[in-house]
Parts: sequence; structure tokens; C-alpha cells
Amino acid sequence: MEQILTKNKNIPKLQDKKLKWSQGIINIGLTLYALVTLYPLFWLFTSALKTNEEFDSRPFGLPEVWQWENLKRAWDVSAMGTSLINSTIVTIISLVLTLLLGALAAYVLARFQFRFKAFIMGLFLLGMLIPIHSTLVPLFIMMNKVNLLDTYWALILPYTAFELPLAIFVTAAFLIAIPKEIEEAALIDGTGYWGIFFRMMLPLSLPALSTVAILGFLRFWNDFAFALIFISKPALKTVPLSLSVFATGYATDYKLTMAAMTIAVVPTIIVFLMFQEQIMKGMTAGAVKG
Amino acid sequence: MTTSTRIKGFILIGLLPALLLYSFFVIVPIFWSAYYGFFDWKGLGSAKFIGLTNYVEVFNDPIFWTGFKNNMLIVAASVFGQVPIAMILALLLTRASLFQRMIRASIFMPMVLSSVVVGIIWGYIYHPQIGVLNFVLDATGLEMIKKVWLSDPSVSMYAIMVPIIWNYIGPYMIIFIAALQNTSPEINDAASLDGVGPVRKLFQVTLPMIWDTIKVVIVLCISGSLKAFDLIYVMTGGGPAHTTEVLASYMYNSTFNVYRFGYGSAISTAIIILSLILILGSQYLMKRDYR
Amino acid sequence: MKKTLTFAIMTAFIVSIIGCSSGNKEEASGKPAASGATETKAPEKVKLSLWHNYTGDDLRAQTMRATLEQFQKDNPNIELDVQGIPPDGYRARLKTVAAANEMPDLFVMWPGVMTREFVGGELLQPINELLDSKPEWKEGFLPNSFTEFTVDEKTYGAPMALSPTSILYYNKTIFDEHNVQPPKTWDDLMNLVDTFKKAKITPIALGNKAAWVAQSSILSSLADRVTGTEWFLKAAAGDGAKFTDPEFVEALKHLQQLSDAKAFQDGFNSIDNTQMEQMFAQGKAAMMIDGGWALTNLAANASPEALAAMRATVLPSIPGGKGNPDSLSGVVGTGLGLSKKVEGARKDAAFKLIYAMANPEVQKKTLEGNQLVSYKVELDTSKVTPIFAEVYKLLGTVTTTPVYDGRLSSAVADVVNNGLQELLMGGNPEAIAKKIQAAHEKELAGSK
Repeated sequence: MEQILTKNKNIPKLQDKKLKWSQGIINIGLTLYALVTLYPLFWLFTSALKTNEEFDSRPFGLPEVWQWENLKRAWDVSAMGTSLINSTIVTIISLVLTLLLGALAAYVLARFQFRFKAFIMGLFLLGMLIPIHSTLVPLFIMMNKVNLLDTYWALILPYTAFELPLAIFVTAAFLIAIPKEIEEAALIDGTGYWGIFFRMMLPLSLPALSTVAILGFLRFWNDFAFALIFISKPALKTVPLSLSVFATGYATDYKLTMAAMTIAVVPTIIVFLMFQEQIMKGMTAGAVKG
Repeated sequence: MTTSTRIKGFILIGLLPALLLYSFFVIVPIFWSAYYGFFDWKGLGSAKFIGLTNYVEVFNDPIFWTGFKNNMLIVAASVFGQVPIAMILALLLTRASLFQRMIRASIFMPMVLSSVVVGIIWGYIYHPQIGVLNFVLDATGLEMIKKVWLSDPSVSMYAIMVPIIWNYIGPYMIIFIAALQNTSPEINDAASLDGVGPVRKLFQVTLPMIWDTIKVVIVLCISGSLKAFDLIYVMTGGGPAHTTEVLASYMYNSTFNVYRFGYGSAISTAIIILSLILILGSQYLMKRDYR
Repeated sequence: MKKTLTFAIMTAFIVSIIGCSSGNKEEASGKPAASGATETKAPEKVKLSLWHNYTGDDLRAQTMRATLEQFQKDNPNIELDVQGIPPDGYRARLKTVAAANEMPDLFVMWPGVMTREFVGGELLQPINELLDSKPEWKEGFLPNSFTEFTVDEKTYGAPMALSPTSILYYNKTIFDEHNVQPPKTWDDLMNLVDTFKKAKITPIALGNKAAWVAQSSILSSLADRVTGTEWFLKAAAGDGAKFTDPEFVEALKHLQQLSDAKAFQDGFNSIDNTQMEQMFAQGKAAMMIDGGWALTNLAANASPEALAAMRATVLPSIPGGKGNPDSLSGVVGTGLGLSKKVEGARKDAAFKLIYAMANPEVQKKTLEGNQLVSYKVELDTSKVTPIFAEVYKLLGTVTTTPVYDGRLSSAVADVVNNGLQELLMGGNPEAIAKKIQAAHEKELAGSK
């Protein structure tokens, strides 16, 4: 396998020059596109440091005086410290549950034949279709009955449940593409299904799981609706609630909203970069091992 | 015999936790909400059973169909715009070089930002007085196509679709990249050695290998488009006069602003049914496999 | 290498599961235990939950939060479970818990429709007892302060603010430059529109993205000028007047005249009211029709020079109209609603808190935070912006008329709002009036 990999690098020799040219044009195009997509981030950071008057009169300009105290003010008023801790706890546990349960179900659905399989797949499909706002009242009533409200679990369990379909479908599609022979060899060696799952399938599907992790993270970290309804104790509030305290319905304090968002976006970027590395590493690692 | 019970046991234990959690928190509320659809209920006080009246009203409600039409526009734009763009970007960006990593990260950035930020920025791009778009059109001598982008019903829906497409390319690209990592290098190389051209290789080798992922992405795309809410809510709130209303925003509005709980639930059930039809249809079309 | 990596990830995951879940369990189990203990140990100590939407950094929110903190310090035996809920999600949250019949003991409640809907759902109890026990306090409120909190002669809230909805703000500097006076009649206004348009200044700033602005700030007053208050009350009650009546269509046509004359800037249906206020404050528009809430926002965000140039008046009179031209539409602000389930010592504590949040001192503080109140307080003009002082004075000279969305049910108000957006884009007034009447009739039939 390693030989093939090294060979791989030597292949594109033909029409080298032409390739370089088109590659160059593509790279310029990509760079331009990337700049366009990066701009909002830059805009967010500069807007966070303006006055409200400036924010509106010159939305695309730089601040005249950089209002650093906006960040401090936003942090204090929105109780961002507590929110960050809560969001981190809720997001990590939800992610672990989603990945573990999702990967396990995906492995079963991708690799085994059994009755009701199509039905179960259909059931999971259903969950991707419902607009979450229409589940708020039923969920509230249910969780109230079992005393889950106002705990971390009131967010963790619904988050995980709602993310499962995506996790299962993405991972299953990925697993189906892995050749069956690998698994059969292991079975003959006497490895059980749990062993195959933990020692082969999980590592092999690292790129898919990382993808699921990124998407799940974003959903959990940014969810407003569930956090608004299922959590009432101030000590358990998550980040999106802190972000929305500055709009009163009659007026929006844009500078502080932007400042709070600036603070909240930093962890997201870090997590994204971390998992992106995993997607790429999954490739090289998987190939060498296989 | 023992192996088959072992397999059955594994299947059961493997599926059960996910299935239980999922049924309790997702399936039950879906049917519960469909059940509310049979009531005339303001959300407080007593509810009155009215049979199918809400559902009949939904299907005769012109605003519901405006929303559906707008949703279909978004579905079309996503499936035929977002997915191909995401695929092209994924094909161009499978390497681990620093440059590629940076580009990938930036393409994903709009997703990382809250829809509020993205919505506000695009609001300023389209702003009738100080907007960038009209400014650029002025500067390039194209004044005649200047518009009040978000308030003019003839263009507002299209104006909204641009940021929606742009915003959600990242996730699909990432899913595609992960799938491409999984394609077996031997087959790729064999094809290259056989002198198969890059375009043919794409259609005959690469795409068939990730066909299952493409199918999943289409499902995600359709379901995501039919639930589209955040950006529209921030940018126009469904207005002016419902012209940019989508099903989810109409549902939210009926439930929480207009206080027609039963009716909102009926809309939401209608959304599920329409999505199911669309998705099953798309999967049927895609069955004519490459393989 | 891959193995170590997976191992590292798995360990991290497992550690976090164990670490977090155990921490969380303590939290979860600690809650009921603690509350149970306090109730048994000290029987005189009572617990109350309160939901509010004063979460922001504006003066009003700060004043109200400080009041709550002070109350907790002064009343150690009343344990408050205070929840500040993001205003954007406040109604959705309240709606959900109401649907599940899990209301908080006290909550910030709007007068008018919301009060009536919650009373109709049998979730509230009246506070007449409290009001009658403090006659001096009760007398201190402005006339009609309790009307919109009253259902079947029982009062369910005491207003903590006042919101006139349709003040015509104008920029004195711009008016002087063009040598014009604030409009007294409809023709004056249309002439002003002409003058400013020729001078390439936006005559009236409008931000109608959240569609209630045109309804609450413009139509409520404008329609009253044409139809008179009596007609509207009849139409709202479905008794002897309809929205398809010629007088209401006439009112819609007047509103449409403004958009036909291009009195508003382009794209007003996609600009929010904060942007509208900024536009006016920055002198890009000569006038703005907005509510009293603008005063708080302007005080926080406009420059002193801009504030000094602002003036306020009422909408102009309309020839042949039946309404009193010296009036503006308005409602009292939010009050605290009290859940039906609160009884005994907890009810006494709740009354104490309701009073603490709306007593003369707090009303005065609120007023000095550039927020109008429905209470007789001497205003120290040195503490507020000049435009606030002017509006305060103006309110003393005019009468108040009803606001459309304060009287109509939320479903009908939604049809009015969207109808007005359509109207301002050139929609047919008769057709829009028909839609409003149809929605209204449906609502009336449903509530019977």
C-alpha cells in the first residue's frame, strides 16, 4: 500500500506544464472565493469594536476608535463565562453520545441484513424532516413529566436524538464503501463484532465521524430554540441565550451583540480546525493501515 | 446457530440505544404534534377537537403554497447549485497542503458564524441606501438593474437564495471530502494508469464510488431546504407581505406569534409529508445507479 | 500512530463523560433536595419565580434588574428565582410553558391582547386586592392606566411603563433650513413631502421589516383621525362596524398616498426600526413616525447635537375626518402578571414584589432613564434628553387612542401587518380591507 501511495505522487507527469497553469488559475479562483467567505468573520470582529452609530452609518468601514470595552461589557452583561462552560459540557457529552450511538447503529445498518431494516432506516429519515420548533411543546411536556427539565440532560438527550439521523446516514454511506473483505478476514481471525466495531470500523470511519462531529458541534453550540425552552436556571444557560440578550424587540444593541458573537465564535473556529485535521489524517492513516 | 444468535444479539444491542433515545425524543413528538393538528387550540386553555379542519385549511391556504413554492425554489437551488459546487470544491481540495487546508477552512467559515451575522451582512449588501451591491452596480454603469433587493417581491426570493446557497456549501463539501478520502487508491490509480481521462474517471470511477454519500447529501439537502428558517427569519422575517415566507417560518409564526397552536402543528405535519414525498421521489430517481 | 491517536480521543471522550456526568448528577440531584430543605426548615420563607425580559444593557433593563436585586436584599425571607429571558424568545417561551400549564409565579405581561388571552386561558389571578390596599399608589397612575389590564372588571396588572406608539418626530434643523413648519393638516404633510423630495432629503424614515411598525405607529393614529375612535371600537368588537366600511378604506388610501408620493425611503419594508431611528438621528430623513420606545434608543445611541435638533408632535389632522386631531395612539407598558396558583404567604410576597416593581420611586427612576411611564411623576428635565422632555410635555396636552394590535387578536393583527406591507407596495386597499375583515370575522366566530 505504501508503495502505491508513493507511486501515486509520481503519476501526474504528462502535460505537466498545462497542469501547472490550470492549477494556478484554480488556486487564484479558490483564493478569491475563500476571501469572500472569510470576510464575514472579519466584519464581525470589526463591528464588535464600533459604536452603534458607526455600525449603522458605515457598516463596512473600520472603527474610528476601537471600542475594546465592548467585549468586556458584552461578557459581563450576557454572563458569557457561565454560558461558555455550560455549552462546552453540553456539547461534549452530546457529541460523544451522538458519535458512539450513531456509529454503532450505522455499522449495524450498513453491514447486516435483517428484518425491519428498511423500516428503521425510514424511521430515522423521518427525524430529519421535522422543523424543530413544532416539537417544542410535546418535548417540554414530556421532559417535565420525567423531571428532566432544567438539567444538562434536557439539552443533551434531544440534541443527540435529533443529530442521530445525520450521524447514521453519513457514517453508513461511508462504511458501505469500505470493502467487506477486511472485515471477513478479521472474523476468520476470531475477532468478535464488538472487536471489529471498536478496533476497525471506528478508526476507519474517522473522516466520516469527524464530519459528523463538526456538524453536530455547530448544531449543539448554536441551538437557540431548545436552550430557550428547556433551560430556565440562569446557571445552566448556554451561549446562544447569551447572544440574544441585547435585542429588545424595539431596538437591537448591535455593538454588544456583535461583541458577544465574537467571543462565542472563537471556540467554534478552533474546534473546526481540530476536526478538519482528523478528516485529513483519517485518509493517510487509513490507507497505510489497510 | 450460535453465530446467528450472536449476530442477532449484536444487531439488537447495536441499534437499541440509538433507537430508544431517538423514538422518545423525535418520533413521539412528531406524532404528538400531528395530533395537535386536529385541535383548535390557542396554546392555552381548553382545546377543541375539530377533526381535519386544520389540515383542510392548510391545503387551501394561499400563504402555505407561497411558502411551499419558495421552499421548492430553495430545494432546486440547493440540489442543482449547492451540491455541484460543493462537489467541485471537494474534488479540488482533497490534499493536505497548508494552502488547501486554509482554503477549506475559509469555505466552511460562514457555517461557523451565527445566521444572525450572515443575515445582517447580507442585509447590508442588499441595503437600498448604503448597500454594496447597488454601489457596485452604480460604479460599473449598470444602474438600470439596481433594485431594492429584499423588498421587491419580483427579486427578493432570489436575493435570499444567494446567501442560503453560499452559507451551506461548507458542510456538503466536508462530507464529500470525507467520502473521497475513503475511495480506494488502487482503483483510482489503476484508472489513471489505464489512461482514462480525468472527466471520464470522475464519472466512471470516482462518483460511483461515493454514490451512497451523494444520495445522503441529496436527502440532507432536501430536508434542510424544506426546514430553511434562520437566515430568512433574520433577513426578511418572511415579508414583505409573506412574499418570502417559507413553510418553517410560516409554521413558527402561526404557532408562536399568531397563537394558533393547532394550525401550526398541522403545517408542520404537512411539511413532513411533503418532504417525505420529495425525498422518496429523489431516491427513486437516483436508484438508476451508476454501479 | 493511528492507534495512539484513537486511543487519545477515546480516553478524552471517556474522561469527559465521567467527569461531566458525575458533576451534572450532583447538580441535578442537589436541586430538589435543597428546595425541599428550605421549605421544611424555615416555614416562613417563601419561594417565588419571576420571568422578565430585561436582559439588555439599556437603562431600562438596568433599572429593573437593580430594583430586583434591591428587593432581594430587603426581603431575605422571600427567595426569588429570577429568570431573564432573551426578549426575542420571551413570548415563544411563555407560550410553551403556558401550553404545558407550567407558568412561573410572576411574569412580565403585555396589556391588551396578551392579558386577555392569558385570562381567557384561566392562568391568572387579579391584583385588585393589592391595588385597593394602597389607594394612594393606585391614584398615582395616569387615567386609564388599568383599562388594558382589566378583564370583566378585574385588574390583572399594574403598568411599569407607557408606550405612545405614533409620535411624529421631526428634525428642526432640516425644517429651518427649508423654512417650513411641522404639518398641521394632511395637505401640509403632503407639501412637506414634496419640498423634501425636491431637496433630495428623505421626507419620512420608515423601517417596516418587522411589519408591526406601520400598523402600530402610523395606521393606529392615522386611521383614528379618519374613522374616529368609536368606529374602531365597534369594528374591533364586531358590533356595527366592519373593516370593509368606506371610512377604513379611506384611511388605508391615505396611508397609501404617502408611499405613492414616495414619502418613505426606498426599501422600507426590509429595514428594521433600529435602522430607521439611526437614519432619522443622522439627519438623513426629515421626519419619522415612531413610538415612545424610540426615546430610550435615541438617548443611548444618538449624538447630543442630533438629540438637540429633534422635535415631536402628533400626526396632522385629516379633512373630513371624525377623529380628534389632538390625540395619539398609545398603550400602557408591560406589568407583572400573577399566576393563579400562587396562594397564601406566597401571594403576599408576590404582591409585595409587584408593588416594588411599579412603586412611585421605581416609576421615577424609569422616567429618568428616558422611558415614559403611566404614572404621575414630576420630571426633572435636567436628567433626560431634550426630546424626551418635549414628548413628555406633548403627552400632557393630548388624549390617547387605541392601538390596533393592542385591541385586535394576534391573528388579525398579523393580517393587518402583512396587509399594510402589501398596501405600501401598491396593493389594493379594498382587497386588503376585505382580508382583514375576513380574518376578524373568523376570529370572532371562534371566540364565541
